[in-house]
Amino acid sequence: MAATVERPKPVLVPDSCKGCGRCIDACEHHCIEPGSDIDPVTGLVPVRIHLEHCTACGLCFDACPEPYALRPEFADAARASRPAPRATAIPAAEPIPDAIVELPPAEPLVIKGMYASAIGAILAGCRHFFGYPITPSTEGAELMARLLPRLDGQFVQAVSEVAAINMLYGAGSAGVRATTFTSSPGFSLMLEGLSYMMGARVPGVVVNVMRGGPGLGNIAPSQSDIKLACRGLGHGDSHAIVLAPATPQEMLELTMLAFDLAFKYRNPVIVLADAYLAQMTGRVTLPRTMVQPGVPSWAVAGDEAHRRNLITSIYLSETELEGENLRLLAKYARMVDEEPRADLFECGDAEILIVACNTPSRMAKGAVRTLRARGVKAGLFRPLTLWPFPIRALAPVLGRAREVVVVEASAAQLEDEMRLAISHANLATPPITRVNRLGGILPSHDEIVSCVVSGARAPALEATA
Amino acid sequence: MSVFYERFDRHDAGEGVKGRSTHYCPGCGHGLVHKYLADAVEDLGIQNRTVAISPVGCAVFLYYYVDAGNVQAAHGRAPAVALGEKLAHPSSIVISYQGDGDLASIGLAEILQAAQLGIPITVIFVNNAIYGMTGGQMAPTTLMGQRTTTSPEGRGRTMGAPLRMAELIAQLEGPVYVERVALYDNKQRVKAQRAIKKAIGLQVENRGFAMVEVLSECPLHLGLTPAEAERWVKERMLPVFPLGVKKDATATREIWPAWKTPIVDPAVVHAVIGGAAERVQRFCTRFPRELWGRDIALKLAGAGGDGAQTAAMIIARAAINEGFDATHIPSYGPESRGGTSYADVRVAEEEVLSPAAPRPHVLLAFNAPSLAKFGPLVADNGIAIYDSTVAPDPPRLAANVIGVPVPATAIATGLGRVTVKNIVALGALAGATRLFPTDTFLTAIRQALRDKPALLELNEQAFALGAKAVAATH
Ligand code: SF4
Ligand code: SF4
Ligand code: SF4
Repeated sequence: MAATVERPKPVLVPDSCKGCGRCIDACEHHCIEPGSDIDPVTGLVPVRIHLEHCTACGLCFDACPEPYALRPEFADAARASRPAPRATAIPAAEPIPDAIVELPPAEPLVIKGMYASAIGAILAGCRHFFGYPITPSTEGAELMARLLPRLDGQFVQAVSEVAAINMLYGAGSAGVRATTFTSSPGFSLMLEGLSYMMGARVPGVVVNVMRGGPGLGNIAPSQSDIKLACRGLGHGDSHAIVLAPATPQEMLELTMLAFDLAFKYRNPVIVLADAYLAQMTGRVTLPRTMVQPGVPSWAVAGDEAHRRNLITSIYLSETELEGENLRLLAKYARMVDEEPRADLFECGDAEILIVACNTPSRMAKGAVRTLRARGVKAGLFRPLTLWPFPIRALAPVLGRAREVVVVEASAAQLEDEMRLAISHANLATPPITRVNRLGGILPSHDEIVSCVVSGARAPALEATA
Repeated sequence: MSVFYERFDRHDAGEGVKGRSTHYCPGCGHGLVHKYLADAVEDLGIQNRTVAISPVGCAVFLYYYVDAGNVQAAHGRAPAVALGEKLAHPSSIVISYQGDGDLASIGLAEILQAAQLGIPITVIFVNNAIYGMTGGQMAPTTLMGQRTTTSPEGRGRTMGAPLRMAELIAQLEGPVYVERVALYDNKQRVKAQRAIKKAIGLQVENRGFAMVEVLSECPLHLGLTPAEAERWVKERMLPVFPLGVKKDATATREIWPAWKTPIVDPAVVHAVIGGAAERVQRFCTRFPRELWGRDIALKLAGAGGDGAQTAAMIIARAAINEGFDATHIPSYGPESRGGTSYADVRVAEEEVLSPAAPRPHVLLAFNAPSLAKFGPLVADNGIAIYDSTVAPDPPRLAANVIGVPVPATAIATGLGRVTVKNIVALGALAGATRLFPTDTFLTAIRQALRDKPALLELNEQAFALGAKAVAATH
């Protein structure tokens, strides 16, 4: 209790008293007794107070579970009311915008994909990493553990992926740019947290390195989390932008982009890589600029300006939750409108349209070259965003194609994303063939070429067709 | 009581009765704990800095009441969320408020880690021996014999005994202060108020993690009046959950290391991420297309410790220095243990496409098993270079594949350091393939040894001897 010179006596506010009686036992002077009349407003029976013997000891205040059932009565009226604001009455904080600053020029780095992601995060202004080691993403966490302390940032090895994603939720709620790196089984564990992030509009970046599954599977490259990232991101009607890099360079660039998108939309963003990309060393050219992050107005930043802020995904009333769902859907619709990205290679006159992302898109690109050299008009359509699927970019090339060949290291998960997008867009589609491998094997250049040339099918195809 | 909102706007828009009273059942202990928390925040003068983490449980709506930064967490994860908040803004005072299901059941891992890390946050743990919000199910703190909807005959032996969280947390090194208090009479309430204020104060002092376990009343699910519930806590819970300070290292615990503001200065960032401005000299006039076209596949294979990965990295770096593209994929995970270490390297004039090297143009085998395994896979007109010290028998190779023996181990041993055999082998590869000029390789070796300049001369010697060895035999 605040130390006061003059101690107040209690005044009962019947509307706020639940008649629990805890104050009755607390008063050693028997000033309080059970009531007998039902309060017309609350339907409860408030206690009754007689202050003749009251010593203003204060014990009843400390025994009452209700903030406003007992009001202190000061002789001095000014002290009696110390008005507290209403949550809705406090003005919103002014946002502090991000600054884009120039980086000194640098020679290309020769680094692993995971390192490129980590460096991309740092250049995007991320100074907080929460993660649990899991192959084949671990090197990214290791680099963060080395670099972040040198930037006075924070690296925490969490007790699990569940804890890691919730630390990300906490840091995102605070309005800072934070990330976690994981691989398929760990990504499964993060889904609850991701759903909360989407529900509570908390930004954050998750880099998921896909490996062979289900279960423990293996640690070889795979693309079998596409469905999870695009369609199954936790419970509820949830969506997040899913970025699919294909080179260490794009691991850096798309990780940087992921932070901007996460804060633009107040939503998590998933960078979906495969084990080869994470482990692969390659040339990475640094950008010319980096981000010095600001503070968003909605952040729970632990200061007066942001004190009114609340991060929650709770909407008890069905109509309110439906309203929030609709607002979230409108936000997802904005992403669908503004964020699809694709890379088209030799698609201008392509009759055979190969669709692939991540490392398999590199094999596919090689196959396109080989096929072109043999006079086959092949092209590669590479979605950079798996959700939202870049259907507007696909539509014109789809119209010209005689056949679509989806190349992937999963049981048609990319193909399903494409088919769904085609269906929603009411597009006619030529026959769709697939070249897919499972179990941690990536489709090879030769498999793609021979599928196109002779209709030969990769072994996994028959089983999943 | 200014730390409570004037009206509880978030409680059904704060209109009518709900604007000024809590959602708790009459006599529920949560309201008291909220008050003590609010009082402590006010007394410590930290309202603007306070961030309250609401749990899942009856206290899920803590944010209706406390006029502070509010974050609502998933069930059990409040300490993890609290850590994220605290580390994001270390000057904030983060209070994680949790019930028994939240903290002692689903969130066990999170609370144990947070406690052991010791990072200054405050945990208020309300233990009322039952699940309130979901309707009176068994809690991890439910007493033996206590009837709940999921222990209808009373908690029995097969359901385990109640968990004593204060004792469990207190025996960790991380926390600075752990106390169990109760609410059932004036004396206990005074102690509870003091404990909560102390636990928050320790965070204000930046001293460390503190937790207060509060034995609380859930009159609704105990089926008792509030007064009876108070007695029940005193008579039934106390023997299982003894009150008192379980740990207090306030006097001896050093202040948490000073918090620093993250660095965003571009020059520092540039240095930390390894950006280098100086241009690397180039020695190639053009890509060695005459060897195997515009995209060359190499595989380096040996035992762990042979240095295959280092040699692979040097090749990739050499190619990139020359303005070409290159990739290197190591074997990783369990594959990289148990004695084998493979590296796939691709070097391309413009762009590496398939990064794997299942049919390499060049194989560099550091031992006989690697040679046996990958020798037959070498592409037409390819080269298989192998350490003839450890793999003396000529390998089985396709007719148009050249085998190049190099006594790499013997040469390296002669130099007094067997670990440079990978550089000897790299010299042999350079000599046998003429992939890049010698200076290109030496530049990449120098870059790799940037932090170990003392080893440079030895490595240059090793490279030269490797090249010479194949010049003699090849
Ligand atoms: S202030 Fe003390 S004496 Fe007066 S009513 Fe309250 S408990 Fe009784
Ligand atoms: S303790 Fe508070 S709510 Fe309960 S009866 Fe007394 S005044 Fe009313
Ligand atoms: S159910 Fe129990 S813990 Fe929950 S509000 Fe009611 S009395 Fe309190």
